[in-house]
Amino acid sequence: MNFKDKKVLVTGGTKGIGKTVALAFASQGASVGVNYATDDQSASDLEKELQQMSSDYLLLKADVSSADEVETMIRQVLDQWERIDILVNNAGIIRDKMLLFLGEEDWDRVINTNLKGTYLCSRAVLKEMISQKSGRIINMASPSAITGRQAQTNYSASKGGIISFTKSLSKEVARIGITVNAICPGIIDTPMTQELKEATKKELLSMIPMGKFGKTDNVADGVLFLASEKAAYITGQVLAIDGGLT
Amino acid sequence: MNQTTVDNTEALGEFLKQMIIDTLRLEEVMPEHIENDAPLFVEGLGLDSIDALELVVAIEKNFNVIIEDEEVGQRAFSSINALTKFVQDEYKG
Repeated sequence: MNFKDKKVLVTGGTKGIGKTVALAFASQGASVGVNYATDDQSASDLEKELQQMSSDYLLLKADVSSADEVETMIRQVLDQWERIDILVNNAGIIRDKMLLFLGEEDWDRVINTNLKGTYLCSRAVLKEMISQKSGRIINMASPSAITGRQAQTNYSASKGGIISFTKSLSKEVARIGITVNAICPGIIDTPMTQELKEATKKELLSMIPMGKFGKTDNVADGVLFLASEKAAYITGQVLAIDGGLT
Repeated sequence: MNQTTVDNTEALGEFLKQMIIDTLRLEEVMPEHIENDAPLFVEGLGLDSIDALELVVAIEKNFNVIIEDEEVGQRAFSSINALTKFVQDEYKG
């Protein structure tokens, strides 16, 4: 898949799945804007890799749950590249707790980063994509949204919201030439899943028919497919990349 | 777009008709088919809410006039006459 001359923005793009997605686009010739919230070290590490690939890139520090910061970030991208072809709403956090112990702050932070961030970034790129009469928006969902998972009421609600958001937005903009899809990565070996307790990891592994965690490359392959011309007639869909988990 | 054209109601109306045709790729519609006081949506041209999204963006690109909510959009897009007046009222140069 060739993404030469395509302008891509990946939120939460300096670590885990987002980093692999950003590097995959860069390796296929795209200009990649990589958003991150706080971790300057990860951004610096990614920058070295992008420089080695001679990629056209932007590092964009912004909190996706802040409307002002998102608007500024999108303005930076448009000032640099004058268009945005592909948005990957990947930024996401977990704050797992049983509901009885789940405080309002942990609820709000997860909903705001995962769901509100997807809304704000999508809204911010939409004018440009409508004007271009083309665009691809790819959102990250989770099996937790489909099957539910204990101690993840906040996370699963945010990801379930993302699936519904994806389906509704796809119907608003399909005729204009913009596709909106979601990827549902299963249990992928990332820094976020490495934070899980060992017992939880074992339990999760036992639920995956393929018997192994996925790799970030598996997810990036799906993202690049949905962003490519090969997926031109696919919109409003959720693509599970989960080794059979769901 | 310059102030002189915006101030000229007839020229602005013609520009807006062509903008609508071009933006929505209305290949079988000519500017003279669009009456100045006919409704643009449902009746008249038969445009819908998705067409409105494209027109909102086109108005912003051409005139730097932002339509921030649907109610304002419904009033502005009720006819060519209404859209012309809306752009003249909101245009800041």
